[in-house]
Order: sequence, then structure tokens, then C-alpha cells
Amino acid sequence: MKLPTDLVKMYKEIHGWVGIVSGLALFIAFYAGAITMFEGPLQEWASPPSRLAPAPSLQRTPELVARVLAEHPEAAHGYTVHLSIDAAHPARLSWSDARGEEAEHGGGTMNFASLAPDGSLQVETEGPSPVARFVDVLHQQVGLPFDHEIAMPIMGAIALLYFIAIVSGLVVLLPSLVKDLFALRIGRNVKRMWLDLHNVLGLFSLPFHIVIALTSIVFAFHDQFYAAQAVAFGGPERPDRGAAVEQAPPRPSLPPAQVVSRIREQAPGFTPVALEYGSSPSGEAALRVLGGDIRFAQRGPDFGAAMLDPATGEITQSDYLPGHQDGWSAAITSFFALHFGSFGGTPIRWAYFLLGLSGAFLFYTGNLLWVESRRKRERKAGAVEQSRSTRILAALTVGVPLGCVAGISATVAAAKPLGLSATPGIHSAIYYGVFLAFVLWALARGAARAGIEQLPAAAVAMLLVPIASLAAIASHPLRVWAVDITALAIASALFIAWRSARRRAGAGPRDSVWALPGSGPAHAEATQAGPA
Amino acid sequence: MRRPLSSRDWFGKASAGLVLGFLLALGAAGLFKILAGVGETFFSTKGQLAMWMMAPVWALAVSLCFLFRSGLRAWGWLALANLALWSLIALLGGLAA
Repeated sequence: MKLPTDLVKMYKEIHGWVGIVSGLALFIAFYAGAITMFEGPLQEWASPPSRLAPAPSLQRTPELVARVLAEHPEAAHGYTVHLSIDAAHPARLSWSDARGEEAEHGGGTMNFASLAPDGSLQVETEGPSPVARFVDVLHQQVGLPFDHEIAMPIMGAIALLYFIAIVSGLVVLLPSLVKDLFALRIGRNVKRMWLDLHNVLGLFSLPFHIVIALTSIVFAFHDQFYAAQAVAFGGPERPDRGAAVEQAPPRPSLPPAQVVSRIREQAPGFTPVALEYGSSPSGEAALRVLGGDIRFAQRGPDFGAAMLDPATGEITQSDYLPGHQDGWSAAITSFFALHFGSFGGTPIRWAYFLLGLSGAFLFYTGNLLWVESRRKRERKAGAVEQSRSTRILAALTVGVPLGCVAGISATVAAAKPLGLSATPGIHSAIYYGVFLAFVLWALARGAARAGIEQLPAAAVAMLLVPIASLAAIASHPLRVWAVDITALAIASALFIAWRSARRRAGAGPRDSVWALPGSGPAHAEATQAGPA
Repeated sequence: MRRPLSSRDWFGKASAGLVLGFLLALGAAGLFKILAGVGETFFSTKGQLAMWMMAPVWALAVSLCFLFRSGLRAWGWLALANLALWSLIALLGGLAA
């Protein structure tokens, strides 16, 4: 395809700059996002055995509900009856202290209730591991340790830059598409190889990247979009979810076991996993059922949902119920499902996991190319010493991705020894401690040395995951061993990358940012051409 | 003689794409709401679709605004497009009172 050269040149410059501004944040978002594809299994892997008595049967659940409401009246605002009990959901009944917006984003203290063998009420505030949720939030906030309200607009700006990078990258690639598409030139010209790899990864996952960029813009700015529409076209502003009506809703009249059978009657094929009792914005009792249907796309990361009449169990709203949606709802659901990978079951999860990792790698190669092309330009201009900005960027290109990988590994592995005493704060401190140490180390040592030192460090951090599993095996039986196997596989990949980085530092050109000081063969044209 | 495209006046073009592109996106959502008969309930699924439409329109405006020859032209053309779109919305009676 023929495009004017000035147009291609302009978009090439734009691609470089938006890429370099957003690339490192996008690496974190994609790496953490890939892991978030398995948030549920990871939470099950990380959750220690509960101190709670075994969950009462669904038939005995009304007794548990009555006791909780009698001893903890605040639970009447909203509580959840879990239909499937596992390590991540050890209690039949749970409720959160948080209200409104805070509760929507998973804040507040969770309470888990069960009935002790003597029939008395047992309430725990510790249980399922918070680490999977921590990685999810890291993904949503592109690695920024700020409040949700501050981090989300920044994430939205990154997503806009990311979209510009997609469009500009496509414009740059189009003229040479046919020539370059199936070429992966692995050889002496390392920059050519990185560029071919960058193009192949970008082009073949283009639909995925377009979807992720556009949905992320919506996730970041939906409140602002609704508010702007309210100003322009009238209508109420989005209701303030924090100001939920204070009166407690009346107790639901239909027991959970009957609710489940009513759902099965009305929506065969839908597997309910949780019943959320609460109140509507107008203060009436409301019942939402969460669950999945493998045949359809789902609105949430894990589940679809339906609203029921708490008194009769009748489905009153099926906008988010898989397989019971009209065309408009199904269209909306498809946007969410395409971001969350919540369709098609486990194979799609793995596909999204690999797409997420390849996306992270795409941004890493983009950064490498930026550094490499800056290096070349400087050499043409006669300077052999790399400029300060190139050196800093090269160091960050090593320290940020490896710091993110090692930080997540360390904080996930820590879930096992921490057990029930794990909190989001501790997991956050471990992650950011490791992450910052890697970044500062890379800045202090330079890209070449840091790469060689940090690759094995990141691999060892990854190995901590299966090591923690084995060390804690007595108190914390091994579940979801796929987590440990995956960690082993990624650790091996990091060790292999370490070997080739070592080779490159010794044998590559001496003026490279990857060359170790005082090593490598003399690069005749580049280093000797200047005045002696 | 046509001036070649360049990324030099990126700020003029990008700011036009960001500000006027957002207004275009908002207008597109408004037009959709009128044509689809959404009314005042945002959380109807059609209302949600109107909100979702804003992302692709805005993102495309921000990405393609660099095709204008200068920042001034970007502001001019996008302002004109907005004027046309918002006049149509006003004509169809879609604006807030």
C-alpha cells in the first residue's frame, strides 16, 4: 500500500513518542492483566485453609442468615450467600462493611460467617487471600499506587496514547506490509530482528489491542462520559451510589434453596454461584444472582447476573443474564467479555493470558527499539558516549518490566507464608518494595549490568512461587498446581533470556547501551573513526 | 506548494483532537440517543451503548487529528464538524433545556 512519505514519517515520530510515554505503564498493565485472567484460580491457590467450621448446607442456611442478622444487624444492608464453597469462598455467608462506591470496588472489611458444631454463630474477618485482587487492581491502575479516583484518569490517558500508538503503528507498517509481514530476520542485525518481532506481534494481535484500548478508555472515563451527557442532553446525573437509603430492607421471604430451584426452572443451563441480598436505590429489598453459562459471553470478569424478586424468586431483569439478553444488552456484554476474556471458558482464558504476555513483550520490544534508534542517531552525529536520557531510558526498560515481574512473583509467593495474616497493605508493600529496588538498582548500575543481574533475580523471584507452595505444604495443601507449573515455565524462560543477555554483553558492539564497560570487540568504524 | 505533514505542531493538532474530538464524541452519543429513542434513563442498555460510542469516536479523533496540515486547520475543521453535528442535535430537539 502506497502512502505519502511525509505522512508515514510523521506517524513514525508520533508512534515513537506516544510509545515511549505509555510503554512501561502498559507493560505492567498487560503483565498483571495476563495474570488476572486466572484471578479466581490464583485466589484459590493463595487462600489458606479457613478457621471456619464447614459451611452449613443450603437447607440450614436460613438459620445462619437469621443468626447473622440478629447479632450483626448491619449485615442487613447487603450480604452474599455462596452456593459453591471452596478455599477462596470458605463461608456460606459473607458481608462487607463498605457501602456504595467503596463496596463496588471491593473495599472495606469482609466478614465470613458459619455455624459452629454446637450451633453457635462463628464470624471471621480473615480468610480468602487478597493477593489476586491486588494484582487485578495493579492491572487496572497500570501499576500506580494511587487512589482509584486519581489512578483511573491517568490510566485513561495511557489508554488514549495506546490507541494513538496502534493507529500510528499501523500507518507506519502499511507501506511495507507485504514485504515485512512473514519476515522474521534473526541474524546479525539485532535491531532488524526486534523490529520484525515488534511488527509481527503487533499486527497479529491488532484486534485484541483495539478492543483493549477502547474498553479501557470507557473503564477510565465512564463517569465523566455519563456526566457530560447529563449536562448536554439533560436527565438525572448518575445517582450517587454512596448515598444508599439507610433503612434496612425487609428480610427475604424465599429461602436460598428454593431460590436456586426457581432459577434452574427459569434459566436452565445457567449455573448460579452466589446470591447477593441487598436493597435497590429506592430502598426496597433486592436479590441479585451471580453465575455463569459456558455457552454465552458474560458481563463480568467471571460471571453474568440477574435480578430476582426476593419474595417469589422470579427473574425481574435479565439484561446481564447470559443467553437471556436482547440484542442491545448482548452488544454491551460483548464489549466487557472481549476485555475480560469471559467467554468460551478455559481455552479463551489461556488465549488471553498469552495475548496479554505477548502485549507486554510488544511494549518491551518497542522500548528497546526506541533506545536502539536513539543510539544509532547519536553515533551518526559523532557521539559515541550515550546521552544521559538514553542511558536512563535503557535502564528503566530493564528495571521496570523485571521489577514488575519480580514484585508480583514475590508478593504472590508471600501469600503462602503469610497465611491468614495477609492483608492488601502487606502485599502492596512487598510488591512496591521489590519493584522500586529493581528500578533503582537498574538506574544505579546501567542497563547492561542490570539486565544481567536482574534477569536471574526475577527468575529466582518466580521460583519462590513453587518453593513457597512446597514449604507450606503441611499447613496449606497444594491446590491449583497449574500456578506452580506456570511459574516454573516462566522462570525457565527468564533464565534462558539471562544466558543470551550475557552473550550479547560480551560479544555485541561496544558502543551499545547493552555493552558492559570495558568489554567487547573494538567496533572499528564506530569507535575509531573520530580524531585520535 | 503543499507544506509537508510534520509532527512539529503536534500540540495544536492533539489539543484540537482532545477537546473538539471529545465534543464530537459527545455529539455522536447524543445523536444516537435521539435516533434510538433513549430518553432519560442512562442505564437502559441503549443508554449504555450511547456512552460506549464515545470511546471509539474520541480515540479516532485524537489519532487522526494529525492528518490536518496545521494545528489551526485542525481546530477550524473540527469546530466546523462540531457546529454541523450540534446544530442537527439542536434541530432534532435533543439538547437539555
